[in-house]
Amino acid sequence: MISRRVLEFATAVLTGSFGVAVVVSSLDNGIGWSSAGVDAGTFPFLTGIIIVLGSLYNLVRGLLPATTLASVPVAITPIELRRLAGLFVPAAIFVAAIPLVGMYVASSLYVFAVLAIPRHQTVPRALAMAAATALALYVVFERMFQVSLPHGALAAAFGI
Amino acid sequence: MDNLQELLHGFTIAITVPHLLLMAVGVLLGILVGVLPGLGAPNGVSLLLPLTFGMQPVSAIILLSSMYWGALFGGSVTSILFNIPGEPSSVATTFDGYPMARDGRPTTALATAFGSAAFGALVGVILITFLASWVAQVALAFGPPEYFAVYFLAFASFVGMGGAAPIKTVVALAIGFAIAAIGIDTVSGSVRLTMGIDELVKGVNFVVAVMGLFGIGELLVAVEEEFHARAVSSKIDWREVFRAVGRLPRHSVALLRSAAIGCWMGITPGGPTAASFMSYGIARRFSRRGRYFGTGEVEGIISPETADHAAGTSALLPMLSLGIPGSATAAVMMGGLMIWGLNPGPMLFVDQKDFVWGLIASMYVGNIVAVALVLLTVPVFAALMRIPFVVIAPLIVIICVVGAYSVSNSYLDVVMMLGFGIVGYLFKKLFYPLAPLVLAIVIGDKAEDAFRQSMLMSKGSLGIFFANKLVTCLIVAGIALLLLPLALQLARLLRRPTPSARNETTAQEKVII
Repeated sequence: MISRRVLEFATAVLTGSFGVAVVVSSLDNGIGWSSAGVDAGTFPFLTGIIIVLGSLYNLVRGLLPATTLASVPVAITPIELRRLAGLFVPAAIFVAAIPLVGMYVASSLYVFAVLAIPRHQTVPRALAMAAATALALYVVFERMFQVSLPHGALAAAFGI
Repeated sequence: MDNLQELLHGFTIAITVPHLLLMAVGVLLGILVGVLPGLGAPNGVSLLLPLTFGMQPVSAIILLSSMYWGALFGGSVTSILFNIPGEPSSVATTFDGYPMARDGRPTTALATAFGSAAFGALVGVILITFLASWVAQVALAFGPPEYFAVYFLAFASFVGMGGAAPIKTVVALAIGFAIAAIGIDTVSGSVRLTMGIDELVKGVNFVVAVMGLFGIGELLVAVEEEFHARAVSSKIDWREVFRAVGRLPRHSVALLRSAAIGCWMGITPGGPTAASFMSYGIARRFSRRGRYFGTGEVEGIISPETADHAAGTSALLPMLSLGIPGSATAAVMMGGLMIWGLNPGPMLFVDQKDFVWGLIASMYVGNIVAVALVLLTVPVFAALMRIPFVVIAPLIVIICVVGAYSVSNSYLDVVMMLGFGIVGYLFKKLFYPLAPLVLAIVIGDKAEDAFRQSMLMSKGSLGIFFANKLVTCLIVAGIALLLLPLALQLARLLRRPTPSARNETTAQEKVII
């Protein structure tokens, strides 16, 4: 179970660290005024500062037991978390597999796995949908719009 | 009268067979993304974007804007028939639309929604017809300081009127600015904020961000509350359609009020979502039958729908005449304009008359096409909703992945898209607004350039932003909007806290879901 408070905290930390990264990185470009006008780093530096300050405010706000937060103490229940993972983890594996096996193989494996393993669909139907996905991608992108999707290291090894 | 002449010329461009076909295709695709949860107008339009590169700009914008109309209508279909808003902006339509449909009057609910939506859109287009070229005329005299002031005003109005927690809006905006700054700096040519990743030199494309934030993010929100599409009957009774539309004029006060709210929220970038909630809230307060709201009141459907479409349409006004999009989808379209080699802003009205007036004329025609098509296809799209979500979800993931990849054939974009997905989920969950984030990514560079050019002009003095009346007014208005939430909070503290105060905040938080 994840409480709203933890979620607010985590998000504020996330945005805050992005802000810090922006501030640090923009210092390389120089901040302030030079002969060429406003230095390249100035604007990002200021936005970075705003992000950090805003995140700090949100952090404190998120931790305080304010009325709005108290009315929704639980942000994500365990069941919801399982559903989220059920969508996101396979999607992340799918994306990770693209450089290796290419878009076509990865997407059909992904469709098959998501449909057949939790038994949402029968195996033959899942197979059919997986094949249809790859075929549709090929027809729409490679043929109709001439966009080459990644074929992957595996295909390159076979010299395709 | 010049405008009318230009408009007539526009009609000769818009009403051609290929353009009418494009409108039909755009509207149908739009209804599709509007109906599917997880796909919405912003990422639908960005998905289509790469496919328009070979087209004439006017054909491309007709396709994209028609998709936008379709998506606005499609979102209402699922809201009414399934109690599932397909678009964030149609959440308020579920309050009265679904109860009415459930009580056996789905046709009445749908026809009322579409009729008032069409009215809202019409008011929006008329406003654009008469106001856009005038605004552009004024803006032609703008220099960098005026531009920066207008950008500032636009961003400030998100903070002041967006409805989300002000500091969260500020953070979202600033993150968008920082993301826009990644890559090569247009003024000095130096490389910024790549954080050691060489491939980031090309910058972060807004399409990648939109795919993640709106696509994956919305999908994650949708999967959390496993919904069962329990549809009411989706049969359309055509006689009832005409009867319901015929009854609309009786609610002309609500129609006009909602259209005005919508136009206002669309031009000042409050966006359709905030507009529909605001309109619903005001209608409930002022309607004589206000206490029946939520049980299937006609005005409870009219108000959010009219405002939603009026805002969606009029969001294109500032995009065309100032180069400042009024909603997330308009921001994506503006990104498209820049890719097609057009420079959004007042010069469009001088250099690209065919484009501008072709688009405006197509908005009249496109909305008629949209109403007709959406009525005809309700049963088809309603059937689509019966496909289990577990089947649709992986397909949407694949669409987003391929969409992000095809922007610049980069795998890094796909990974970033997934990252934006997590951010989008967290932001939605915690009521950080997404529209300002996208807006800042698209026009952040331009705002920064305007600021730096102004500084060059004034040799580093901020006094240039108070150099003449116009610029001073814009900046002061911007600052006032920034301080508005603070002032409201102070006023609330001074007043005695009422028991309804808590409900108000949750309603406000709902606005930006």
